[in-house]
Amino acid sequence: MSLFIDIISWIAILGGSFFAITGAIGLFRFPDFYSRTHAAGKGDTLSSFLVILGFAVYQLKDFESFSHDWPVLLVILKLLAVSVFIFMTSPTSTHALMDAGWEDKVKPEIGEGKPNHLNDDCGKF
Amino acid sequence: MRLSQIFATIAVVITGCILLYGVSDFPGFGDPHSPANAGVPGSESVSQYFITESYGDTKVPNLVTSVLADYRGYDTMFETVVIFAAGMAIFAILGAVGGGGQPREQSEEPFFVNGDHSRIIVGTTCRLLVPVIQLFALYVIGHGHYSPGGGFQGGVILAASFIIIALSSNLNAALRRLSEANYLRIACIGILIYAGFGVLCQVLEGNFLDYGLLQPVLLTDGPEMARSHSMLGVEIGVAFTVTAIMFAIYANLSSRGTLRDGL
Repeated sequence: MSLFIDIISWIAILGGSFFAITGAIGLFRFPDFYSRTHAAGKGDTLSSFLVILGFAVYQLKDFESFSHDWPVLLVILKLLAVSVFIFMTSPTSTHALMDAGWEDKVKPEIGEGKPNHLNDDCGKF
Repeated sequence: MRLSQIFATIAVVITGCILLYGVSDFPGFGDPHSPANAGVPGSESVSQYFITESYGDTKVPNLVTSVLADYRGYDTMFETVVIFAAGMAIFAILGAVGGGGQPREQSEEPFFVNGDHSRIIVGTTCRLLVPVIQLFALYVIGHGHYSPGGGFQGGVILAASFIIIALSSNLNAALRRLSEANYLRIACIGILIYAGFGVLCQVLEGNFLDYGLLQPVLLTDGPEMARSHSMLGVEIGVAFTVTAIMFAIYANLSSRGTLRDGL
């Protein structure tokens, strides 16, 4: 059981680290403001969720009986609450940031020969 | 460079030199033989006393709170007054410089929609989160004895929830929940609660803020528990003032003192 918990939590934590690193790489290497914010926001949300989930699973190692080990459940509950709040706030802040950029007329970068609907949709640029 | 700037620079440089000279006399960081840690010859060290005796004196497990609200409660009371005075100074300055004296029009816009669909996502998230933030703020205020926290921190969190309402929709939506008259009232009530605890002790023929004397008023088991409960009371007073002043500072600064529209 202990090994099983170890494996699950390590997969979650390492998966979270992977998404954090890819998010950071995307933040540096994507071409314009919108795709960079997208990379940072998506990677940040999922990676923090996975890492916290890994911590919560790891806490199960200390849990043996309900009568004695309920503080462990409390810790797990707190971790899950943190992840729920991150899941709500992080995409919202990404959205607010992008919205502010759109209001501020930050131009998205569109490749050569790709369809460009920016002007017909909103007439902003 | 103008003359006032020259004088200001000279004053800053002199003050900085005096402060640096003062710092050179400090004991090394974490030095066990410094007076604060080892005490001066002939008397016990004050930090040792707090560490060993504060739980017996006040029945408050969080040492920081017992030092802050009891042993040096007089200092903390005036810290609260400093925050109050900062708020008053901002009102005075913005009232004189900004358009503070003009009559305010309260527009009757709906809370979150604001005719602007891009704010629905932010508005909904904030509407879900604000109650949680406020509940957590009350927990931090009320749990200051047992865990890190207390009136200042909880008050700032509570004020942040109102600032989030103002940011996610507009300033009027926040002012409808905590109006100008009410935040000024709450700021004064907070200091009155704190000072009231002190005066109550004087009425019972003791020293100012000597909470142990409140035992017959608070009906506790002993003077220790009276100190513990009084600390909760003064923390609530601090939280009142900090909440009101923090929100007031935001509301006034973001709207240049007019309390209209804001950011």
